[in-house]
Amino acid sequence: MVTFTKEMKEGLRVPGKGGSLVYLCTSSLDGKPNIAAMRFVATHMDDKILIADMFLLKTKMNIKENPEVAVAICHPLEEGRWWVFRGKAVDIEYGFPRDFDWYGANATDILNEWGNWNKSEPPDEVPPDIVFPKAAQRGVVVIHVEEAYSIEPGHAGEKIL
Amino acid sequence: MTVKLTERMQAWIETMGCHLCVATPQGVPYVTLGRFASVTADDEVAFALAQDEYGIISTALKTNPWVALGVSKQGGIRASFQFKGIGRVVTQGPLFTGIAAEAKEAQGIDTYAVIYVKVSEIYCTKPGAEAGQRLDMMTPDEVCEWEKKRWQDIPRKNTK
Repeated sequence: MVTFTKEMKEGLRVPGKGGSLVYLCTSSLDGKPNIAAMRFVATHMDDKILIADMFLLKTKMNIKENPEVAVAICHPLEEGRWWVFRGKAVDIEYGFPRDFDWYGANATDILNEWGNWNKSEPPDEVPPDIVFPKAAQRGVVVIHVEEAYSIEPGHAGEKIL
Repeated sequence: MTVKLTERMQAWIETMGCHLCVATPQGVPYVTLGRFASVTADDEVAFALAQDEYGIISTALKTNPWVALGVSKQGGIRASFQFKGIGRVVTQGPLFTGIAAEAKEAQGIDTYAVIYVKVSEIYCTKPGAEAGQRLDMMTPDEVCEWEKKRWQDIPRKNTK
């Protein structure tokens, strides 16, 4: 069982609140990798990363057949956020049983707090030529983190959680 | 289809480097940084990796050559693309020494392995209606026009 550090919790928030843009890395069951940048990110409990299911396609398909994922900080790295988190993910979509549990995370709690993420933490910092015209959230990806390693040059691969 | 990285794509990749995602044949993903990137052909990018950076992906890459690339740093938002292709590891010979020398001079990297990724798939990752759109189904000229209508910013080499 891992426990996020204070710095990790601060870094795993939306960029507009001092957090980070992250890469969510998934794979099909037969090993074809996929990497996609995510803006809506948060932590829950001491070992869960949450990411909005907003415009997910291949990522969603991969998670539905293979829960193994990695989350890496994309930007800013130079603030010491050389982290890659590995663990198991589920996409808690609206329609899931409200008592669904993912390693201690409850579907009702997750959807109540992060189910309308665009309203609670609007992407005001995202450039107008990138931001989406209309939010379309289907759920919340919950990642139960089991380990983390560094990608800091000179220390890449070292276990940090 | 013919894949050709646009001038803007090439600039973002070379200026920012990339996050390299690989996976085991069973689907366990691993990520490392390709801090130094050099576009070596219209559809090929070489990354110079130090020993520790290569060590993260070496086991998976030996059994599964697929590599997915996302541009690092600000490129994660400004360069809204995902590139996928087959990776080839080179640890000696002229294909190694040339890239290694460039990486040493540019970023002081002691290169252990050079990963050449032959890009065969390009996806738009801009959030919204075009998320997931495959761009490599267009001709190279069509991709250029498509991109120019949306973005024209090209990063400077000294941007960190």
